[in-house]
Amino acid sequence: MNAVPLAAAGGGERHALRFLAELSQALAQSLDLRETLDMAVTRIADFMQAEAASLFLLDRAGLIECRICVGPVDITGLKLAVGQGVVGRCVADNATQIVRDASCDARVNVRVDAETGFVTRSILCTPLSNARGPIGALEVINRRDGGLFDEDDAEILRLVAAPAVLAIGNAQLAHGLVEQQRIKRELELARRMQKSMLPRRRRGDFPIRGVNLPAHEISGDFYDFFDLPDGRLAFVIGDVSGKGLDAAFLMVRVASMLRWVGAHAPAPAVWLAQVNAELCRTAQDGRFVCAAVGQYDRASGTVALASAGFPPALLHDGKAFEELPADGPPLGILAEADYGEREFTLGARALYLFSDGATDVRTGASDRLGEAGLRGLIAGHAALMPEARLRAVVGDLKRLHLVDDTTLLLLQEPCGAHAHTLLDLEFPAQSAQMRSVRAALRHALDAQGVAPELRDQLVLAVDEACTNVIRHAYGGECTRRIALHVARERDMLAFELRDHAPTVDPASLKPRDLSECKPGGLGLPFIAMTMDDWKLEPAADGQGNILRMHKRIDFGDKE
Amino acid sequence: MNDTGNACGSEDLGGYVLVRVSGEVDLSWSQQVRDAILAALGRGGVGVELSQVGYIDSSGIAALVEGFQRARSTNKRFGLIAASKPVLAVLQLARLDKVFPMFAGVDEARVA
Repeated sequence: MNAVPLAAAGGGERHALRFLAELSQALAQSLDLRETLDMAVTRIADFMQAEAASLFLLDRAGLIECRICVGPVDITGLKLAVGQGVVGRCVADNATQIVRDASCDARVNVRVDAETGFVTRSILCTPLSNARGPIGALEVINRRDGGLFDEDDAEILRLVAAPAVLAIGNAQLAHGLVEQQRIKRELELARRMQKSMLPRRRRGDFPIRGVNLPAHEISGDFYDFFDLPDGRLAFVIGDVSGKGLDAAFLMVRVASMLRWVGAHAPAPAVWLAQVNAELCRTAQDGRFVCAAVGQYDRASGTVALASAGFPPALLHDGKAFEELPADGPPLGILAEADYGEREFTLGARALYLFSDGATDVRTGASDRLGEAGLRGLIAGHAALMPEARLRAVVGDLKRLHLVDDTTLLLLQEPCGAHAHTLLDLEFPAQSAQMRSVRAALRHALDAQGVAPELRDQLVLAVDEACTNVIRHAYGGECTRRIALHVARERDMLAFELRDHAPTVDPASLKPRDLSECKPGGLGLPFIAMTMDDWKLEPAADGQGNILRMHKRIDFGDKE
Repeated sequence: MNDTGNACGSEDLGGYVLVRVSGEVDLSWSQQVRDAILAALGRGGVGVELSQVGYIDSSGIAALVEGFQRARSTNKRFGLIAASKPVLAVLQLARLDKVFPMFAGVDEARVA
């Protein structure tokens, strides 16, 4: 430290050092800028034996504003341009200014004196500056003893300026932190609000599960599922282009629209078209939304699905994947866009819907996981139950580097992995076989504790289905094969009957009206009345037909 | 009668023929049941005795319906006698339980 010429300040070197130490400590302790500086300027004025003292700070507009003022004239709020007056010069030059005789110094702004009657005789002004340059100035006016400020006084003022600058810096830092905290709190609030829009996880054997992993506090992704009045389940997954607050706001809006429109259970293609039209009507600066919507009928196992530019859905049977591409463009681009939709039987398969964040996961410096990678993750956990599998896949994704909001929706009957075969038969298409087929089926149903009346009715329905295959699909008794597979998934019995006959048009099968008394055509009504649902589909390989029939049964506490 | 227990025999009771069916009436032999009933109708009124039928499918029901319709068109009596529970269940399912005249025994059927 330089030698401190303090004799002039009155009290000697020791006195000055003690003052400096006290001032520094006081400045260091408080984080309230105004209170701290007010105290500091008062003490400086006293120590310097000055009639008035003021502290100026550069504002954002580049003007120097008087923030603290002690003395007979309050000039708080006075603003000066850099270079204007003694203070302006001090800041402009980043150098201490001494005005020994104010009455004849061109730097002195005479306006304040003229307005207030205060007589300025002598001025000492030192810059407040940090490593980046001046941030303001500290000024004392008129020694109380009538003398003039000198170099020694200037040295003292320079010394007290240093802790003042530190205090200002601290306080501004603290203010910045408080502001950051506030923004963080608000973002956290927004995040929680967004999260609260996601549907609650349903326990038990509910077949839909979702996960949303925001890359930041807030997300442009969303998913939803809800019950429809007809008993089906509706589900939605979406991804708003872009990130940040505007994407998050659009997400909230689109999620609400999809829910609103979807509640009326429109066909998925109509559902998307309506939301798309509305979104285009109120278009916003090129933002768009990729989404997939669908309905799932647990009783029949049927899924209706439509996708607006969403990444291809994956159907996985535990061994192979089937890819379901998008049925139209993303929402919010083409007002007149048409959307296709698809319908399929889920069976024990799993349907995965995922936002592109899941495939954009980084596996290296620049490598994306990609769809093949995601398939690999899913396949790697295929043996797990749906809930555990989804958690395992999400765990894998988190271990890799998530760069975008990531959302996954899994649709699968939870007991799919528990489905067990009750009966697996193959026999030639001959009616003489039916007696033993019925006996085997009766036996299998008895083993499950199916009540005798219902058992007989189910046996009749299956028998009718088999004889229809013999008579109509194969056109009569023959040695070609019929395969019957009966499985149980919890309280659901699933009957599957497969033949190798030419494809039958499912539309040609209509149960007849029973109010007419006539001998034929009773088979289909028996099936329709017994089963909860039935459906004839061409076999996947194009060879033959598959009749799927389901019956939900109250097994009581069995299994 | 063979090892399946399926059998269909008729008994002339003087202007009234009792057709006794037993076993599991399905597509494999319902045609025989049909033929037996139609043949019996050629000899008079018919009662089909079904107490020993453990199973009947739609082709068996069709045979009964055809007999019923033939009897009406030829002004003959036709009834089901002592239908077993499985038969009744299927008739109910087909909503035919109120269509056929049903009798507990052959005597009631003959005097009806």
